Amino acid sequence: MASLRAQLLRRKPVTAMAEETGADSGTGELRRTIGLFQLSMIGIGGVIGTGIFFVLSKAVPTAGPAVIWSFVIAGVVAGLTAVCYAELASAVPVSGSSYSYAYATLGELAAMVVAACLLLEYGVSTAAVAVGWSQYLNQLLENVFGVRIPEVLSAAPDAGGWLNLPAVVLVGLCALLLIRGTSESAKINAAMVVTKLLVLAMFVVIGVRGWNSDNLANFAPHGIGGVYGAAGVIFFTFVGLDAVSTAGEEVKNPRRTMPLAIMIALVTVTVMYVATALVAVAAQPADKFKEQEAGLAAILQDVVGASWPGTVLAAGAIISIFSVTLVVLYGQTRILFAMSRDGLVPSVFHKVNPRTITPVRNTVIVSVAVAVLAGLIPIDLLSEMTSIGTLVAFIVVSVGVIVLRRTAPDLPRGFKVPGYPVTPVLSVIGCVIIITNLEMITIVAFLMWTAVVLIWYLAWGRRHSELGKSERRRARTEEPS
Amino acid sequence: MTVLLGLPRGERATAALGLAALLARSSRSDLVVCAVAPASWPPGLAKIDAEYQEYLNQASQEALDSARLALPADVATSFVAVRARSTPHGLLEVAEKHSASLLVLGSSSTGGIGRVSLGSVADHVLHSAPIPVAMAPRGYRCRVGSTVRRVTAAYGATHGGADFAAAAAKLAGQLGATLRLASFAVRSGPVITAGVGLHAEDGVLGEWSQYIEQVQRDTLAQLTELLSGPPAMESTIGYGRDWHESVEDVGWTDGDLLAVGSSSVGPLARVFLGSRASKIVRNSPVPVVVLPRS
Repeated sequence: MASLRAQLLRRKPVTAMAEETGADSGTGELRRTIGLFQLSMIGIGGVIGTGIFFVLSKAVPTAGPAVIWSFVIAGVVAGLTAVCYAELASAVPVSGSSYSYAYATLGELAAMVVAACLLLEYGVSTAAVAVGWSQYLNQLLENVFGVRIPEVLSAAPDAGGWLNLPAVVLVGLCALLLIRGTSESAKINAAMVVTKLLVLAMFVVIGVRGWNSDNLANFAPHGIGGVYGAAGVIFFTFVGLDAVSTAGEEVKNPRRTMPLAIMIALVTVTVMYVATALVAVAAQPADKFKEQEAGLAAILQDVVGASWPGTVLAAGAIISIFSVTLVVLYGQTRILFAMSRDGLVPSVFHKVNPRTITPVRNTVIVSVAVAVLAGLIPIDLLSEMTSIGTLVAFIVVSVGVIVLRRTAPDLPRGFKVPGYPVTPVLSVIGCVIIITNLEMITIVAFLMWTAVVLIWYLAWGRRHSELGKSERRRARTEEPS
Repeated sequence: MTVLLGLPRGERATAALGLAALLARSSRSDLVVCAVAPASWPPGLAKIDAEYQEYLNQASQEALDSARLALPADVATSFVAVRARSTPHGLLEVAEKHSASLLVLGSSSTGGIGRVSLGSVADHVLHSAPIPVAMAPRGYRCRVGSTVRRVTAAYGATHGGADFAAAAAKLAGQLGATLRLASFAVRSGPVITAGVGLHAEDGVLGEWSQYIEQVQRDTLAQLTELLSGPPAMESTIGYGRDWHESVEDVGWTDGDLLAVGSSSVGPLARVFLGSRASKIVRNSPVPVVVLPRS
């Protein structure tokens, strides 16, 4: 058996990845079809629209009106990491998630760490947005029918309820769609992007009438620490920018298109977020945000003094959050699928139902886990957990860019980070600063989770790794000679 | 063995006649052409219905006569006209009486040219027939004197798949044709904003293909063991973005026949199309035969 060091550093050959995807299903042919506009839409669609609907209730108490700077900081860090991500993705001429890129370039251990982060990011953010959905659903029900789902059935135990039923139902619905086999075309994505942007634009245009400069007087009550802390909370509203990088191999002229699309997506999203946050903090005093449910809808209703803007906004939020829940749940199942094929998690995750041609058991297991999280854990904790997962994954990716430049300088890369080595270093520093300003309990929980995953890897994955198996087979056949 | 053709009323049933002759010729069996007319009402006060009944009888006879002219001479054919309270009912009765082993129907005239579409009679028969039901695409023509050369079994690798494959193999044997197992996959696109790449679904499809190929191989091996003198067999998988593409993908030639199994949710030993089978039937460019679940 190979030494532990060799096991931890073994990398998956790119040729094997190419064989796994496509070759046997007649889809190997790659065409560069995605242009700048479409790629930017993928970026905006991946990022915008869910976190912003409920993250202010947690971020504003932390930072005060200075929360707008938190958005800018989070946006800049997300942009830096997305650029690094794009280089790593372009070095591996096969599409996949950051897990597969890490496996191909940095080795099994790094892939496992990235996987731990991704599982946390995807799983927890699905739960988080599902909880946010339940708030807006309640708002809509109250405005339209005058009823609310009772507190017991619409809040987590810690938040004074018993079970967040709407969140669980949402996850269940998405799971059903995924089991039936669902896809998202560029057209649907564009429609969702427009919906989300319109909803936020409506908030800004109407909400600005409630502008009160007095609310901005105490601009940064908790100082720079508060601003960084809030940046950690809202970082997860920028999750999804990496979707741009994973589309890399089909992008026309990636060297130019890739950074431009990341910039366009980032600027659009950051401007929208900052505008929304600015209007929100100007419309009501900072202490009112705390534990405000369906925040944006509530603010609009206060500003106008009627319920209709809140109703429209809640409806828009319900639609867009639904689509995002579906997308993230999908991502989660497919990452586990890839890991399972690599032998790092049990094979039940890559069993495909012959009837529906979808990984049904995988989807069911993931959905149950996410539904439990969404039903029982309050939203504040969920959003910070998502952020830390993403941040650590981004650190690994940024470090990976530097490592790969040194260990494999000649590797053909479709896209190179501009301003190397400053960009990846800044990206790492940015992520570290945000992480250190997160709450202690988040960091501890994250470390425990990573430890669990690594113990799992050492005890089980290491031995069952398909890569390890094929190496051993090769060793055995070579031995007699 | 007897092939029964349910003659559509009021149309030139060239497609159905051609298919019936083809099947009878391939299986070297008799052909019974049957025209069903509505049953008469109970005898009333004054037999005012008689004229209408006479008209119906005449229409049946005319249909049978024109069928007689259209049918090729090399198939032993008999002609029956029956009265029944409904066409499906009458057809099934005649099938039982002649112990027919195959029932042939025409496609509905509302479907597109070259496609199989189920009319109301076919739909009803499919829910209640204990024997295989064959249907020709609209406008179907086959060469004079030709036979079925290959039966393609749409194979789903689900519960009861092995029995269906055996039934299809038996049918292929009776028709003197080769057997091809075909599975169809509709490829769904990935969720593009999920950050797992644009080819995440390829892995899923690859896994499915591996599994299906294995099952197909096993089934073929099983059939070789099970049947004495099994027909020549092969297997294939069709991919496409929708059912039409996917069915087209396996390639079709003259003398092909597509066999689909009835759904496992219907009552035992009755044909009944499941959701996927009906999609395959709708998109089939060749005649289709629906096999009852054994």
